[in-house]
Amino acid sequence: MFSLLYRMVRDRALAEDLAQETFIKVLNGIKSYRPEFKFSSWIFKIANNAAIDHLRRKSIDTLSLDGAPSAETPEQMRATSLQLGDRTESPLDEVQNRELGTAIERAIARLRPEYRSCILLRHVEGYSYEEIADTLELPLGTVKTYIHRARNELRGYLEDRRE
Amino acid sequence: MTDISMHLSTDEIELWAQGLLPAARALHLADCSLCRVEADRERKVILELVQLPRFAPAAGFADRVMAQVKIATPSGDWEQR
Repeated sequence: MFSLLYRMVRDRALAEDLAQETFIKVLNGIKSYRPEFKFSSWIFKIANNAAIDHLRRKSIDTLSLDGAPSAETPEQMRATSLQLGDRTESPLDEVQNRELGTAIERAIARLRPEYRSCILLRHVEGYSYEEIADTLELPLGTVKTYIHRARNELRGYLEDRRE
Repeated sequence: MTDISMHLSTDEIELWAQGLLPAARALHLADCSLCRVEADRERKVILELVQLPRFAPAAGFADRVMAQVKIATPSGDWEQR
């Protein structure tokens, strides 16, 4: 669950805060857990909601390595892109850059948050399409579409890198 | 029933990448260079994803969480741990 949060928000300290918020909600709200729902799915659902809420609140999803999706000119892209290495790196930044700096991690970061949750649940957590649909409360067809699109986008990013 | 000459769907390519593609469809894959190229590209991405490392929070995380959890007392009240 921490891995999912960390890859969603790409900030260790923030991922810990969201994980803490998730566990507190789980433990304090245990009475509202419905046993017909897989327990781990319930936790992932709360964690994913926390991450998506945070991304929406802070509009971090518009901050990609290439700048905001709305950026049309190179100047706009530069102004809205993440500036890596433009400040003194703290030990925590160093750890994050090492952990999330590989090509595949950077490609995942470029996906829309909804695609990111689906692809991580499918291929990192090993969830079935049906479990993802239950966890994220999405129609099965939407989950399949998101995962297929996410893999296509990842292929594109990774192949661009190799060329 | 799927026509053996039909190209593999995305779902079937995922099954193949997991070693779960039915033999009849694997026959098509063996004969179809288009599907093989597509399947290979897909498998590379899936392999990269499944090999991603798991991360853990910093030491002391569990204690920090439990410090904020309310425990029910026998009287039915809540008590902060």
